[in-house]
Amino acid sequence: MEAVKNAFDFGDMPRNELGLAAVVLAFLLSFPLMPHSSFGMATMIQFLMFSLYGMGWNLIGGYGGQVDLGKAQYVGIGAYTTAVMMIRWDVPFWFSMPVGMALAVGWSFIIGYPLFRLKGHYFTIATIATSLVLKDLFEVWNFVGGARGLEIPLKGDFPNWLYLQFREDYYYYYVILGMFLIGFIYMNGFRHSRLGYQLRAIKDNEHVARSLGIDVHWSKIKAYAVATAYVAMVGSFHACYNFNIEPEDTMSLDLSVLIAMMAMLGGAGSMWGPIIGAAILVPMKNYLGSWLGGQAGFAGIDLALYGMIIMFIAAAQPRGVYGIVEAMRARRR
Amino acid sequence: MALLRINNVSKHFGGLVANRDVSFDVDQDEVVGLIGPNGAGKTTLFNCIAGFYPVTSGTVVFDGQDITPLRDFQVARMGLARTFQIFQASGDLKVVENVMVGSFMRTGSRGSARRAALEVMEFLGIAETAGEMMTELPVAAQKRVALATALASDPKLLLLDEVGAGLNPSEIDGLIALLQRIHTERGVALLLTEHVLEMVMKLSHRVIVLESGQKIAEGEPAQVVKDPEVVRAYLGDHYVKRQKEGGDA
Repeated sequence: MEAVKNAFDFGDMPRNELGLAAVVLAFLLSFPLMPHSSFGMATMIQFLMFSLYGMGWNLIGGYGGQVDLGKAQYVGIGAYTTAVMMIRWDVPFWFSMPVGMALAVGWSFIIGYPLFRLKGHYFTIATIATSLVLKDLFEVWNFVGGARGLEIPLKGDFPNWLYLQFREDYYYYYVILGMFLIGFIYMNGFRHSRLGYQLRAIKDNEHVARSLGIDVHWSKIKAYAVATAYVAMVGSFHACYNFNIEPEDTMSLDLSVLIAMMAMLGGAGSMWGPIIGAAILVPMKNYLGSWLGGQAGFAGIDLALYGMIIMFIAAAQPRGVYGIVEAMRARRR
Repeated sequence: MALLRINNVSKHFGGLVANRDVSFDVDQDEVVGLIGPNGAGKTTLFNCIAGFYPVTSGTVVFDGQDITPLRDFQVARMGLARTFQIFQASGDLKVVENVMVGSFMRTGSRGSARRAALEVMEFLGIAETAGEMMTELPVAAQKRVALATALASDPKLLLLDEVGAGLNPSEIDGLIALLQRIHTERGVALLLTEHVLEMVMKLSHRVIVLESGQKIAEGEPAQVVKDPEVVRAYLGDHYVKRQKEGGDA
């Protein structure tokens, strides 16, 4: 009961933030009713997906203070579980999604145990390595289609809620928006939970945390498991939304880096950070990236631009855009 | 039955002997001071007791259980809390949230963790700083928060490592009164190391003196300071001789 109360307790957030959140929520709910291009709709769906990826990343990367560049492996596990179960055994999305989450969480426990013995750059490198090894395995594993990946066939008439197959994008939009809202509320509850507090104490000072009875290693593994559930959930959605998946687009290092970059740009360790980061980078990636690549003929230059943004943020305000907002607020007081 | 019993504890770092065959007890109703010159091995001994370092040999028994093989966080859960000599508050936690991390050791509920934290802060007289950020507080106040956090975990024994360091004389007086109240009103046994000898002398029922990792004296504060071994350890051979000659003349 208290967990539910904690999840809906926004009392410790500043008034104006809550006001802004209400405006954003109204916009998100009504977006499909407004005039928009299909590219705009796709961008919004991606924004919501990356917000959720970022929320997951933020648990370890932000609250836990360790940079994780291996989130894509869990996108892959979620996406592949849903695709394989749908193709081979006709299992509906709503059943395969939790299975994918459970498998991903199981895998996260297995690699989390040795992973969190590592610190700093070593941890980061190990997360990259585990993710890439998994990707390589999937590329040669024929059961899941190897490097060509899988294509999910149509399972009947649109709109198909059971298998999450829709002709119009706004169905997908509302599904991912629902996940986004649940994810946000859950994250708010997590922040107020014992593990949430303990994680922040660990980031602050591991020695002090241990002296307060916190099993640092185990706490990190648990938080990592929660983070994994977020990412795998969106991975399952990704499989249905795209109809076809391959190791390259679900498990690549690019995806892991993008997830981390958005959360860091927005502000690691805050509720709004991953959302702000996704709101800036996803449209930029889609609009600027396609414009630079298409009309201007500078394919790939947008990647260099992200790099510069990240370097600028790291130098000017390590706590990201939200950190700039907080600094301004502190100065005004 | 002593609350804490240290039996022949030795700690070696490679060839360096930091503690050699140290033994003493702390009872539930006691305040024990651990003193000694710089490098005598006080902090190392604390780290061995609290499970931060594995001991090389010897045993530590707490509350009737051998805690020698336990890890630091397990020792903490037994009811043995500690404060740190060097305390840095860097994080984005508010004061009350910081203290709540301590009370979360005993409860999983945010509501009762918060109540317990506020109660301890009230007791220590820092309730009004609850909403402030740790980094905004002066050092003396930060140390009180650290003390509150340790107390919020509801310990039986509190290890205090140089809590007086960096405080001015009037702050020290306040701290002495506070520690006395922690001991008498909350029934927490205290084991403290301190450079500020005045504080140890006023607070402790019993003092243990370490030098070069070994226990060289133990007893009531007033006796211990007269012990020639202790004087030599702190001030050197010269001083002992001069004191004797002066006494003879």
